[in-house]
Amino acid sequence: MADILVYIEHDADGITDLSLQCLAKARQLAGCCGGKTVGAAVLGADAEKVAAEVIARGADVAFAVEDAALADYLPKPYAAALAQLLEQQPARLLILPASTVGNDVGPLLAGRLDAGCVVDCSDIACDGTVCTFKRLDFDAQAYTLYRNAGGGLAIVTCKDGIAEAAAAGAGGGEAVSVTVAIGAEEQSTTLDRREVARKTVNLKDAKVIIGGGAGVGNAANFQLLEQLASKLNAEIGATRAAVDAGWVSHERQIGQTGVTVRPDLYIAVGISGAVQHVVGIRDAKQIIAINNDPSAPIYKMAHYKIVGDLNSVVPKLVDLLS
Amino acid sequence: MACNSIVIAREVWDTRDLLPGVVSGNALNEGALSKRFEPEDLNALEMALQIKDKQGGKVTVLSVGAVRDVDVLREALFRGVDEVVRVVPPTNELDTAGQAALLAAAIRKLGTFDLVLVGVSVPEGENSLLGAEVAARLGVDQITYVDSLVELGADSALCKREIEMGSEFIRAKLPAVLVMGVYLLTDDPRTPRSAKAMLKLKMKKAPIPEWTAAELGVELSGAKIVVAGFEAIPRRQIDTKDVDPESGAALKAMLDEVL
Ligand SMILES: Cc1cc2nc3c(=O)[nH]c(=O)nc-3n(C[C@H](O)[C@H](O)[C@H](O)COP(=O)(O)OP(=O)(O)OC[C@H]3O[C@@H](n4cnc5c(N)ncnc54)[C@H](O)[C@@H]3O)c2cc1C
Ligand SMILES: Nc1ncnc2c1ncn2[C@@H]1O[C@H](COP(=O)(O)O)[C@@H](O)[C@H]1O
Repeated sequence: MADILVYIEHDADGITDLSLQCLAKARQLAGCCGGKTVGAAVLGADAEKVAAEVIARGADVAFAVEDAALADYLPKPYAAALAQLLEQQPARLLILPASTVGNDVGPLLAGRLDAGCVVDCSDIACDGTVCTFKRLDFDAQAYTLYRNAGGGLAIVTCKDGIAEAAAAGAGGGEAVSVTVAIGAEEQSTTLDRREVARKTVNLKDAKVIIGGGAGVGNAANFQLLEQLASKLNAEIGATRAAVDAGWVSHERQIGQTGVTVRPDLYIAVGISGAVQHVVGIRDAKQIIAINNDPSAPIYKMAHYKIVGDLNSVVPKLVDLLS
Repeated sequence: MACNSIVIAREVWDTRDLLPGVVSGNALNEGALSKRFEPEDLNALEMALQIKDKQGGKVTVLSVGAVRDVDVLREALFRGVDEVVRVVPPTNELDTAGQAALLAAAIRKLGTFDLVLVGVSVPEGENSLLGAEVAARLGVDQITYVDSLVELGADSALCKREIEMGSEFIRAKLPAVLVMGVYLLTDDPRTPRSAKAMLKLKMKKAPIPEWTAAELGVELSGAKIVVAGFEAIPRRQIDTKDVDPESGAALKAMLDEVL
């Protein structure tokens, strides 16, 4: 059994970084809240292979659950499998990445098991006996502090930045295969198709990022941003508006359903500053915002406010850098 | 194919553009906050009304708890829903699990339904787990982060779901819970309609039925997750500098500073 269980999300590119961050957080918490051992739940195709990798990242035990019904992520069979795993291997705390998987299956499982649930935690603090789950709220002015008063299993999802993922090491834990039985009633939801981009850029480690939004206007105009990017050795990022319009590939989306970035410099071009975008750039050291609307919310977090048409401002910057 | 929808509507803190001072010490300064109709719940309501406009059926709206500033149920009546019910909790210390238990019981009491629609909510101060907690209690299919309804058949709903590196198309068996995470474009056909003046007059005083936990046969076992307090985050001091785009010197100075 494990006191803290971490749900490991993995895809063709391997284990997601956020899952490894959750694992590292669990390691920090081991020893507090009455528990010591950290387990990992690895579901789906390749679970056994991934479980071995998870051991190298610091799990004491990794439970590999493979089943035909788990080939693709879907909430019901995954909740059923996790419920059965928890029955066999009880835990006090289940940590999942706050992704569209973790925030989907976590609350569903909580509902099924009547467990306490908190989503989107930025931190988990422990005073030796009780865990406090901290969620960033109120326009980032405060954390709301949640506690598990019920005493039973708590299910929490954690956001990017929860801890630094551990490098792969030797690892002394063991991988265990777990068998589950997933009935037909758990297989009523089906995946028609999934359209996802493969990651080829690494925005997370970029020092300078130029983010383009709906204001850029069209795909061709992203050329302007690329010219600036080449002068600054920068990467191109974008808002969901620009991605949905098809001007930029999905892997460049920054924000709630995109990546969280921490560059030294972020240049927001034609971006209004919606909360779902801003959560992804809050930790940028410096922000320059270019927008033709002097009251755009993005300026609240900008160090440099340039009110003007991006079509003239961006070329000027390119010239100055030439 | 007529479709009966149940929409869950919540009144939530308006967490946009807050002035400093929302949290002092360990407590929330509620006077500094206003309330609004959960915007994603409004998107959910709009989807229900559009389904009804297109293929008939009934729209019922549920809400838990007393009205604070915004009466979401009356707002729903002003937009043309057929029925509303306020669920009265036994205590104000209700966690999401408690809300979900009450809602699931109310939905059962309403009888058969095809869809339950609710918002997923934005991060930072709004709750995104209610839909799944309700789905779990009803034992029906769920799709969260729903961007749009692609196809609604007699026994299934196909939805586009927004995920990290793209999107996926999920088919749920009816009845199902759809948790909306709509991102509205300019002139978006999914934009929530506003209240209708005529309905405002007609529904201003319409009685709103209330169902208590006891009537629903729900016994809550006490909140599992409690709010232990708040912790103010020191404001990141940002001295925003205005840079004149017409001045090459000003732009140059800015570049020199940041690079
Ligand atoms: C569940 C959910 C998840 C989401 N996840 C994300 C996410 O991960 N990332 C994300 O970015 N969004 C996300 N969104 C969408 C988000 O709410 C916003 O709609 C989006 O960020 C807006 O993008 P934008 O700023 O490019 O567009 P807009 O809000 O349309 O802003 C465009 C800006 O460009 C300016 N502009 C126009 N023309 C010019 C010009 N010529 N020169 C200068 N400025 C100009 C305008 O003044 C305006 O401020 C999500 C939404 C939902 C519901
Ligand atoms: N939008 C919201 N986001 C987070 N918590 C909320 C929100 N609305 C209400 N609450 C919480 O619900 C509880 C009851 O709120 P109230 O009835 O306004 O005192 C409080 O603990 C609030 O923190």
